Amino acid sequence: MKQNSKLGRTFAAALLFGTMLGGSAAVAQTLTIGVRAGPDSIDPHWSTLGSQAETLRHIFDTVVMADENLQLKPGLATSWKPVDDTTWEFKIREGVKFHDGSELTAEDVKFSIDRIPVVTGPMSMTIYTKQVKETKVIDKNTLHVITKAPAPTLPNDFIRLFVVSKNVGMEARNEQFNSGKAAIGTGPYKFVSWEPKGDFVVERFDGYWGDKQPWAKVVRKEIASDPARMAALKSGQVDLVNYVPATDYAAMQKDKSVDTFVADSVYFLNITPNVKETLPKKVKVDGKEIDANPLRDPKVREAMDLAIDRKTLVRVVLEGLGRPANQLMPTNFFGGSKNLPEKPYDVAKAKQLLADAGYPKGFEIDFACTNNRLPGDSAVCEALSQMWARAGLKVNANALNGTVFFPAQQKGEFSLWMSGWGTLTGEASYTYGSLVHTADPAIGLGAFNKQGYSNPEVDKLLEDGSKTMDDPKRRALFEKVTEVSMNDRALIPTVQIQTVWAAKKGMLTVPSRVDQETLAYEIKPKS
Amino acid sequence: MIGFLIQRVLQALMVVIAMSIIVFLGVYAIGNPIDVMIDPASDQALREALIHRYGLDRPLIEQYFVFMNNMLHGDFGESFIYRLPVINLIFSRFPATLELALTAMLIATCLGIPLGLWAGYKPEALSSRAIMAFSVLGFSVPTFWVGLLLIMVFAVELGWLPSGGRGPTTTVFGIPMSITSLEGWSYIILPAFNLALFKLGLLIRLTRAGTSEVMSSDFVRFARAQGLSEGKVVGLHVLKNISIPIVTVFGLELGSTLAFAVVTETVFNWPGMGKLIIDSITVLDRPVMVAYLILVVFLFVLINLVVDLVYGQLDPRIRVKAAS
Repeated sequence: MKQNSKLGRTFAAALLFGTMLGGSAAVAQTLTIGVRAGPDSIDPHWSTLGSQAETLRHIFDTVVMADENLQLKPGLATSWKPVDDTTWEFKIREGVKFHDGSELTAEDVKFSIDRIPVVTGPMSMTIYTKQVKETKVIDKNTLHVITKAPAPTLPNDFIRLFVVSKNVGMEARNEQFNSGKAAIGTGPYKFVSWEPKGDFVVERFDGYWGDKQPWAKVVRKEIASDPARMAALKSGQVDLVNYVPATDYAAMQKDKSVDTFVADSVYFLNITPNVKETLPKKVKVDGKEIDANPLRDPKVREAMDLAIDRKTLVRVVLEGLGRPANQLMPTNFFGGSKNLPEKPYDVAKAKQLLADAGYPKGFEIDFACTNNRLPGDSAVCEALSQMWARAGLKVNANALNGTVFFPAQQKGEFSLWMSGWGTLTGEASYTYGSLVHTADPAIGLGAFNKQGYSNPEVDKLLEDGSKTMDDPKRRALFEKVTEVSMNDRALIPTVQIQTVWAAKKGMLTVPSRVDQETLAYEIKPKS
Repeated sequence: MIGFLIQRVLQALMVVIAMSIIVFLGVYAIGNPIDVMIDPASDQALREALIHRYGLDRPLIEQYFVFMNNMLHGDFGESFIYRLPVINLIFSRFPATLELALTAMLIATCLGIPLGLWAGYKPEALSSRAIMAFSVLGFSVPTFWVGLLLIMVFAVELGWLPSGGRGPTTTVFGIPMSITSLEGWSYIILPAFNLALFKLGLLIRLTRAGTSEVMSSDFVRFARAQGLSEGKVVGLHVLKNISIPIVTVFGLELGSTLAFAVVTETVFNWPGMGKLIIDSITVLDRPVMVAYLILVVFLFVLINLVVDLVYGQLDPRIRVKAAS
């Protein structure tokens, strides 16, 4: 007991000391981060979950890396180029060491690509290797990746291709990675410990090929509850938190003990109108069900678009943490269009268009949304139904938990819905290929096109684009896809979400990443 | 006695079967777990392949019997999300929850029973009224709100205690425990108190009601007439006579605290089972849901069994009945 109280005193003194020195390099050795979500496994090939990739980037490097705007930069590959229509050549970085001291070669990269289909789970990593037919090791530092068809977006897919050491063997599974035995990467930090939903602890790897890291140790505490995470920052248990809720952000701006960092995100809240022949639940005019689907009429979709006051959504509903959107991804992404005008807000014209379309008194329709996927999703949902009410529509907003929403969406039970979408590869075919291309299982496109939108022009542009190896040409094709599908209102974008980090005052500089990743190796102590 | 045990085990099995059917039907009614888990960039072929791989394309009844068959062989399956054996996953979280629940019950009992006795013994005293007012607060104020308040006061404003997490653990008999060190206590005290609050209110009221009823009974008068001290009258005879309902409630509350401490665990980021089950529900991780609920059923049955045995110790009349 005596020893314990002594320990307690030492601990208290250490804490006090820490507070006094806060921010100086002497104690900036350990970085403790309170994160909303962590990984599902330490095996980097297990799941495509965003928080999984974010966490494991500390231990494992990817072949291609992404900068804060999700544009490509060299990773374990120093360069890449197509040698013919179906072969990419990757030059693997020389002098890279794994945490166990062995040297990285093209064999390890080949092993990693081959390993994915064998070990991956329900959030299948094969989406990043599905274009690969086979891999050939040319020499120690050269790898040829042969694709099934021309695959211009292969380097984009490889920003999620983590490289593990071939020494771990094909047999290693989640247990071996979680225990640390197989968690051998080339990344800036070495694995120390992790348990599901608990703390993730890593320490600096001195043999790292990149810049020397300022942190000797990094602890990522998984604190899912927003108030608990904010309290952990305010009580000094963690140095930095991600996903600050909008209400706390407003209060923090007046708080002198914290710094806040705001970043645009890749996530957009998009409305999807079901344009199939008949709706799963018929709309009502004057309380009577009608057979026709009014959403098939472009005028109706335009009216609904015009009735949305995006500036108010951002300013009031999201407390300023967002931007009005006019397409499904940021304009500076590959294939984003700078020609599309800002979306106007015009209720009078919306009413006129509805009358022209044959609905002078509007109609009644159900509107489903998620309520727990992105900050503000359910609030935006309710605000939208009020905005549409001003144009004369009766929209029954129904915000659902993702657990209920996604299966129902797959079954095609919604007439009109809103959900978030993030262009995680920073490139248009990822988003438009899945959401606006005609649903076609044979070629694997339009997998999430549950609204029945089909435009042969868009389909052709997307298919041509996915075969065009020349970057500027492909970019022009995808820009056209963006413009045509947005003018058709295949989906109606509303707002781009912004996210916030908060850190102890004057302690850190946190880069604003569009993918929201909180990466210790990009966070520097403020000197 | 043996017949009694067999009866209890059979009861438990019936509940397990009923519950597993409900979970299977429930998950089936919501939809396909793959649709919740799948990456948005997947194409249709991959979705079909995954559904096939996890056997979710087979008839529900077949899925159910495959699961039950494996379970009878001691295999609860693997989590969809973690690909770890469900049993390992649950038991890796169990010590944290057990520790928290027991500490909470300890606080509730050690404070609740004496306070309730006092309030029942001196119902008119100002202190008794204060105790009763506190007990009303105990179970009328929402747990999460009190939890946040405790954090704001003791962690953020005063800075005396950590705002969440479990702190350092030491291994005792192969089980990681945090109450073995002073620092560990600094982590557990707030969540345990938060969790105890409701039970504390309940125990105070229950003890008080029993005490005020028993105080006016004949045997108390006889005991006093015999010349026993007030301490002995209340502490021995009264307490023993009011203990049956208290033990019942204690048992039920212990069970529900172990199984459903999720609100407190979330607010204080305590790495227990409650968080695991909530997370597995939001992603429809069916193996974890079923295995967890089966464990909960057994836990309740076990606790009730212990409670029944304790009755016999407390009240010989019940023992006689059970024996006959």
